[in-house]
Amino acid sequence: MDSGLRKHLNILDYTLLSLWRRRLKNLSILLVFAGVIFLVASFELVTQALTETADRALRNVPEITLQRLSAGRQETVPLTYMERLRGIFGIREIVPRVWGYYFDEVSGANYTVMGMDRRRMPGGKEMDLALARGDMPDPEERGAAVIGQGVETVLRQKGGSLLSLFRPDLSQVSFEIAGVFAPATDILTSDLIVLHPEDARDLFRIPSGMATDLLVYVANADEVSTIARKIATLLPDTRVLTRTQIRKTYQVVFGWRSGFASVCLLTALTAFVIFAWDKASGLSPEERREISVLKILGWETADILAIRFWEGLLVAGLAFVLGCTAAYVHVVFYDASLFRPVLVGWSVIRPDLRLLPTPELANFLLIFCGSVLPYLAATVIPAWRSASVPAETALSGM
Amino acid sequence: MFLNSWSIALVICGLVVTFLMGFAARSGIRVLFHWNPDSDANRQIQLENEIWLTSTLVECALGVQIISLVVFVLAADFYSQAIVGAMCATGSLLANNFGVPALIVKIGGVFFYGFWIVLHQLDIRSEHYPLVRLKYVYLLLLLPFLALDLTLGVLYVAGLHPDIITSCCAVVFGETAGGGPNLLSGWSPRLSLSLFYGSALALLAIGIVLLVRWRMWASLLFSSLCLWFFLLALMAVTTVFSSYIYAMPFHKCPFCILKAEYHYIGFLLYVPLFLGAFLGMSVIVAEPLRSLDGLEEVVPRFQKRAVVSCLALLLVFVGVATYPYLRYLILGGEG
Repeated sequence: MDSGLRKHLNILDYTLLSLWRRRLKNLSILLVFAGVIFLVASFELVTQALTETADRALRNVPEITLQRLSAGRQETVPLTYMERLRGIFGIREIVPRVWGYYFDEVSGANYTVMGMDRRRMPGGKEMDLALARGDMPDPEERGAAVIGQGVETVLRQKGGSLLSLFRPDLSQVSFEIAGVFAPATDILTSDLIVLHPEDARDLFRIPSGMATDLLVYVANADEVSTIARKIATLLPDTRVLTRTQIRKTYQVVFGWRSGFASVCLLTALTAFVIFAWDKASGLSPEERREISVLKILGWETADILAIRFWEGLLVAGLAFVLGCTAAYVHVVFYDASLFRPVLVGWSVIRPDLRLLPTPELANFLLIFCGSVLPYLAATVIPAWRSASVPAETALSGM
Repeated sequence: MFLNSWSIALVICGLVVTFLMGFAARSGIRVLFHWNPDSDANRQIQLENEIWLTSTLVECALGVQIISLVVFVLAADFYSQAIVGAMCATGSLLANNFGVPALIVKIGGVFFYGFWIVLHQLDIRSEHYPLVRLKYVYLLLLLPFLALDLTLGVLYVAGLHPDIITSCCAVVFGETAGGGPNLLSGWSPRLSLSLFYGSALALLAIGIVLLVRWRMWASLLFSSLCLWFFLLALMAVTTVFSSYIYAMPFHKCPFCILKAEYHYIGFLLYVPLFLGAFLGMSVIVAEPLRSLDGLEEVVPRFQKRAVVSCLALLLVFVGVATYPYLRYLILGGEG
């Protein structure tokens, strides 16, 4: 075997023994360090999982969404706007959508009510596949609703088979439950009630001939921004949202939130770095004796630095594996219950969201930079100080 | 755009490198002023100890700098998801005037810190430490470079403005989604390839000449050719080889190959290229030291090993780069 490699193997062997001899001190550093890595990694993994979930959800969003603004606020869009867009070449379909939030006073939950003509939506016919029970009602059929899992739970608690909602003037309107969305679609459908467009208009008292927004489907993805620009010129009182833009906004929001959380965690990291520096600096008389004996036996400063290097690497590596594993378990099996409110938001009906991060090399690199690097930097100088203990210390009785 | 994990990681890397190099420079100044190899005073013994500290610090700084380079490229890829018109890291690096200079300075940092470590390793092989002063003057010269690196990185991140949906106005329409900007457009692939393989052969020939009989002019030529080949290789990967890895004729990007979608093949390309080019260039860095006291045997031995390792690594690089290209020529692409 190469003599350099053998030397390092021997040093590694010595390091492991030395770590074991001071196991209590090393264990305390290991646990605190693993805790810090757990915090950093949990945030990173939750962000990664949420970004991916949002990305998946946005795949079915129409290429362009059109909203009308008046005095800076969103207003209903007249359906006549659709006629004005007919002339734009490249638009595949325009679907008016009526939607809004409905506050249920009994359960304190906010439902999302949506009404649209699914016959005109590309992929609308496949919506049956998203249901756990029942069928999508016939597009012409009035008085039927398809609800999400969260709404069904509330309905079951109330004990009724009909979904009864109140119009703004408090007159009641009831719907039969035609189907229930599958739990796999919870992030999108948990609080959702899908109605016939006229039923939705009736529930919100939106005049006929109006819609909340218009969904514009574009055939060629490369033409989206050109078409969006044309729409914005043609209808200056509208806000044109493209799917790419929505995705980028999600990305920025999640990035911002996780960044903000990381900044908060920096205090924990700083505290840990100071702790690690302090632990590494405070050499006990036994440690000084050990180093000076090693030097008398012929060890060089470089060899003792190598011991310190291996010690740091072993502790950091073990803490990294422990912290990351704990974070993965926390996110996947406990749904990141510690931090989810910070990243997801608050709501009474919270989608029963299964977070399943698929961490890549980049995520681990990020966690490494936010935890292990500062630790290694903090221990370099104390390591050198301990390596430069003079050999005569052992002789002088220290 | 400071408030996201990638920017914070970049800043942490920058601060760690600054901290380590700052400490190294502090002991460097002490060594420069008080170094006296003939003395056996307490201070001299302490300074000899400090040499170990400095080298450990610079070695750590080099490690962090390499990590920071990878983080920088991956961060640019992350930013592309938030900037209109940016399809991948190339787009976000071109999003303001500081992206590409910051990348170049970071790559330069890896080489310059590495050369310091070469000097140090040669120095400690001699009992007289003949390179101490040179080493520490070089170390102090690295400080402005370090400051430039940190400043460019911060300016780049500060100059990035994510395009998010605002409540007051319609979407800001940036570049169209298709294509995206390419670095180094307009190079003919045929010319790039002939230059690339021609230079690789020339490098191999000069390397063999050097190994058979060492000549000063040949070592100078070898190192210069290494630098030339390094730049050429980066260009060839960008303009020619990357398209074959992506299996898309118009996707010419030197950064996406570092991602999981392409099985991290970029690391297999860049690690041998950077290491090989570095070793090749360190041959000329060590050349003036051949005649120094105590280094007469050490330097030639190092140079020969460096030439052999450089050639081996660059062969690996050429092999990995050529594989997708050859595969396309033989099998006719993916399908």
